[in-house]
Amino acid sequence: MRIEISRLTKTYGGGVHALNGIDLDVPTGMYGLLGSNGAGKTTLMRVLAGLLRPTSGTVRVGGHDITTADGRLAVHRVLGYLPQELGVYPDLTARRFLDYIALLKGLDSRSLRRRRIGELLETVALTEHADHKLKGFSGGMLRRVGIAQALLADPRLLIVDEPTTGLDPEERIRLRGLLTEFAEDRTVLLSTHIVEDVAQTCRFLAVLVKGRLVFQGDVEELVSRADRRIWTVTTPGPAPSRGRIVGSRPDGGGTRYRILAATSPDPSAQPSEPTLEDGYLALMEAGR
Amino acid sequence: MIATMRYEFRMQIRRPVLWIVYGLTYAATVATFGSTYVTLDLGFGEGLASKTAMISSASLLMSLLPIVYGCLIADRLIRDRLLGVAGVLDATPAGRTGRLIGKYLGTCTATAVPLMLAYFGRAVAYAITEGEPAALGWAVTLFVTAVVPGLLFLGALALAGPLLMPVMLFRVLFVVYWFWGNLIPATMMPTLSRSIFAAKSEYVAYGLLDYGSNLTIPPNVILPPEGIVYGPSPGASLNFLRPEATPAVAFLWIGVMIALAAAVLFLTRLHTIRTES
Amino acid sequence: MKSLDLWSYEIRRAGPATLLAPPALVLLIAALAAFGTRLGSREGNTAWFLLGALETGIPLVAGIAAASLIGRDRSVELLLTLPGGYRPTLLRRLVVTVGWAALCALAASVLLVATGWWELIPGAPGGLTGQLTWLSPLLWLSALGLLAAVTLRSTAAATSVVASVWVFEQMFSGVLRESTVPRLLYLFPTTRWGSAAEWLPNRLTLLSTALLLVAAAWPLLGNAERTLTGGETE
Repeated sequence: MRIEISRLTKTYGGGVHALNGIDLDVPTGMYGLLGSNGAGKTTLMRVLAGLLRPTSGTVRVGGHDITTADGRLAVHRVLGYLPQELGVYPDLTARRFLDYIALLKGLDSRSLRRRRIGELLETVALTEHADHKLKGFSGGMLRRVGIAQALLADPRLLIVDEPTTGLDPEERIRLRGLLTEFAEDRTVLLSTHIVEDVAQTCRFLAVLVKGRLVFQGDVEELVSRADRRIWTVTTPGPAPSRGRIVGSRPDGGGTRYRILAATSPDPSAQPSEPTLEDGYLALMEAGR
Repeated sequence: MIATMRYEFRMQIRRPVLWIVYGLTYAATVATFGSTYVTLDLGFGEGLASKTAMISSASLLMSLLPIVYGCLIADRLIRDRLLGVAGVLDATPAGRTGRLIGKYLGTCTATAVPLMLAYFGRAVAYAITEGEPAALGWAVTLFVTAVVPGLLFLGALALAGPLLMPVMLFRVLFVVYWFWGNLIPATMMPTLSRSIFAAKSEYVAYGLLDYGSNLTIPPNVILPPEGIVYGPSPGASLNFLRPEATPAVAFLWIGVMIALAAAVLFLTRLHTIRTES
Repeated sequence: MKSLDLWSYEIRRAGPATLLAPPALVLLIAALAAFGTRLGSREGNTAWFLLGALETGIPLVAGIAAASLIGRDRSVELLLTLPGGYRPTLLRRLVVTVGWAALCALAASVLLVATGWWELIPGAPGGLTGQLTWLSPLLWLSALGLLAAVTLRSTAAATSVVASVWVFEQMFSGVLRESTVPRLLYLFPTTRWGSAAEWLPNRLTLLSTALLLVAAAWPLLGNAERTLTGGETE
């Protein structure tokens, strides 16, 4: 399911430009959307989910125009959506919450719902908590309930906004695996500010900064933005003053610094292989 | 406490709905009272003194607007829990008691601002049109002594009530309480109306400011032998809660309102201690 | 089976306050009907209180509950992305809230008819028409609550509007009786005015204007952006 966005603008009341002239093409598969907090990711997700109307521009999801009522209905029929802040009903158990959402999504057969919910609870490792009320769930557990509800009706398009927030490393790895597997023949749009999530799951990604799209392409291309610009310096003294320090850790008697700089920041600096995070930071630096 | 108060004040005063709902209710009040609100004459004829006019103005405004005041305060304390910020606030250096008082004073003051503007706006208009600057002095005196104590109690009640029951239910009961306990005639049924426990009361006007004695009574009105008395209503039950208005009783009413507010806040604090353990 | 399951969830979503307040009022009515006279209340007074609880009390609960429906929903962002949209869900919840209050009011009125109290209420017609005594204000205040909630996008504001209208109508019953339009739109004529010549037209006007209020709210409810943003967190 392809998403085609052309000259998309979203302006809120008070003249706040949340999205400014976005042109983006999202193919089938896993697609990452990176950006700092407030970059406009959630607004874009909400526009794609048919929750917000674009101020101008066109958005087509699987060929359906999201700005029309028919188009939105067609998209909602194939959509699984995990909002950034999923509110749940604390008085319901995880199983009953999922059952309620499944009913609203049109899964009429009780036996089908029971089976599907059982599978999903297993997938998100919540089977043993399935009959506990949601008011006792941790943030990570609620996130997993959110993922399960998004997958209930076997959607063709999955939009997940910050899905790994609050998850521990093990849960995060499990979720990444789940999303990657799910994206084999579907479209998964992963919005996050955690670069590692995109690095581990997506081949293609886009980067939003203050409502503008500053990058779209594949992961390698973004990584290459930091080619020959990442340096390692180990020193017992103060950090080198040139370049931007993107990492530091104790090493022997000194500190090992990872530095983003166009030229060698220190006579002892060694060139280093860039990561996606370095590419992202290089992109941000270039935009300043 | 001061920081909490300032924050809560700003949060509440910036709610557009605060102004919209007060505006609607104020418009309904003015439209209904019509000429009475224009003349501020509650039926005692010509030659109004500015004091009498300001008492009338307070009495008219305090009929409907406190409903808005209570309903808008009712969600403020439980909001911290719903938004999940209670834990964060608990970790701040501000003590819980200080925060509760700050929240109470900040929220109540902000919610009372539209009411104050309406009241003092009318006072300024009266002072200009009637050429009576003394009205402004009476307005301040009246507001501080006769309106604020009631608002202090109502604010505490509205802030704390939803801790004990769903906020929806509290709002229903608050409306019923306001109607039953403050607006209906004392003779209609057993009620707190006109009693020392009523938030809308005229004890200060009658007891402290001598409202009843200097009214110009039209000749066709036959007064009871004891004159105009605010207090016991003939034929009403619970009259023991309605002592005759005197300066001492007016001060007693102010004290009762403040004591009730303090008691409600104290119980709220106890409730939070119980729920945090 | 699907619809049964769905409705059972919607009933649960109504919350304890919405589910318990109307029957609590009915119990109060029953207690007053049974023991009022023994407590020293005059027969006429008791009948008036019973009617007041029915014509003004239960509609107030329904109105405030309807005004709180949207603001209380924590999962609204998710529900707005479901194929059916948010309106059917909200409509079901409205039916539960208002329907339950109506059922309780009906039970109370049957109780009053069966025990003979209904006949002591001046101005309340008997039979099915008599049921408009509570039905009209109940639907009107609920519709007002819904419209206020969608327009103002704040539960506090919407409940304040319902509450203010309720108190306003109670306080100014005399003034409102003086001119035709307010008379036709007055919510509590049976309690406040006793027998009224335009009782039935008043009841029918309320029902039709309640429909208008819902019709005004309906398109606003279909606007996901409006429902999602700009509102207040309650």
